[in-house]
Amino acid sequence: MNLENLYLTILWPIRWLVEVVLVSWHWIFSHLGMDPNGGLTWVLSIVGLVVVVRAALIPVFVRQIKNQRKMLEVAPQIKKIQDKYKGKRDQLSREAMSREMMEFYRETGTNPLASCLPLLIQLPIFGALFAVLNNAQHGKVGVGMLNASLSKSFGSASLFDFAPLHDSFQSAMNHAGGPVVPVMIVAAVMVALMVASQFYTQLQIMSKNISDETKNSPQFRQQRTLMYFLPFIFLFSGFAFPLGVMFYWLTTNIWTMVQQFLVIRAMPTPGSEAARLREERLAKKREALIAAGKLQVAAPAVDGGEAVVTRVNTQRQQPVSNKRKKKRR
Amino acid sequence: MTTAHAPGFTRPAAASAMHVARTLRLLPRNIVVALLRGYRAVISPLYGDVCRYYPSCSAYALGAVQQHGLGRGGFLAARRVVRCHPWAVGGVDDVPESHSSHFHVNRYGFVVDDHAHHGQGKG
Repeated sequence: MNLENLYLTILWPIRWLVEVVLVSWHWIFSHLGMDPNGGLTWVLSIVGLVVVVRAALIPVFVRQIKNQRKMLEVAPQIKKIQDKYKGKRDQLSREAMSREMMEFYRETGTNPLASCLPLLIQLPIFGALFAVLNNAQHGKVGVGMLNASLSKSFGSASLFDFAPLHDSFQSAMNHAGGPVVPVMIVAAVMVALMVASQFYTQLQIMSKNISDETKNSPQFRQQRTLMYFLPFIFLFSGFAFPLGVMFYWLTTNIWTMVQQFLVIRAMPTPGSEAARLREERLAKKREALIAAGKLQVAAPAVDGGEAVVTRVNTQRQQPVSNKRKKKRR
Repeated sequence: MTTAHAPGFTRPAAASAMHVARTLRLLPRNIVVALLRGYRAVISPLYGDVCRYYPSCSAYALGAVQQHGLGRGGFLAARRVVRCHPWAVGGVDDVPESHSSHFHVNRYGFVVDDHAHHGQGKG
């Protein structure tokens, strides 16, 4: 009881924010003409919550990618440290190398690693959504904007009138009047979608966005094997979590998948399969532009040097009065 | 080695009672050690190298709970995770040393009571 109170107190500010976002989206959808008590309206509000949270986290993600790129500048020095410990496989040497590398990253401000906090940052939001749904289901008022009538509406909302958002696979299975099959079907479909999206995200990274060097490490092979166990985590959560929370999780999974796809396409890890594919795409595009006469290739400045590709200027030079010409210089 | 003499019998009994009490006191942290070791074996490798510090956040958490117990160790670990964000410079960041030396960490990572001679430093 005490622990639960402590947990709810810590979550209070996050719950308050989650309610603000949920109620705001609900207000928007209701005013767009959707049924205020409809399950779809509340599901879309949860999707809206994901959009707000993930959009707020974009700077964190961008910073992580930038960190990854910084290491290229100091690659020779890193290689030096690695060479120093070459062939030393004992634990003490490995540890000394890790320490030296970390110290080097810190001194030069080139730490390429992503950081741990973002992995956990969605956990309290998750917990808060859980508490909000649970509260609403028991007809209790929220901590902020979720007033009595909204709370009642959220707690009794049901997607397409057959899958109540507060129900889980487990509660539907153990229902007093026999198992509620529709809820179980919706939960099962969502688990399948979650496994698929998570698997695809992981596969994209593992197969395309990892440098050849990392790919050959034993650590990577271990990681790859473990990837196949991940779906079991979703099987457990899909069994126990209410549909409302599952909708949040599924949407955030899909967001991750799309974001990862775009980033791998536009900013792949140097030396990876995705980077080679991007080079090929760019080369093809350049050839097409040359063929269309929009780019011109000049002979290399030095013998054996790289050809200089410049853009053909098709824009008319705007006439400028003498007075302005002077000013510009 | 004390034998059948009555006065000699009470001393080891008291010592072993102390040992049991201390082992019980170490129980919560050992449960968490088991959980952390499970996490580090199964879930951690999925993420690959992520942490901006050495030792990594989970290794730090393990060390902190082993050395400082659930309360202080947990607090130290939470503080470390909060510090590990994309704008942090990172670097070497070890668990602060513990002054208590009534126990040692065995090769499975569990904290066991030094029943023989407490109060002395561990090896």
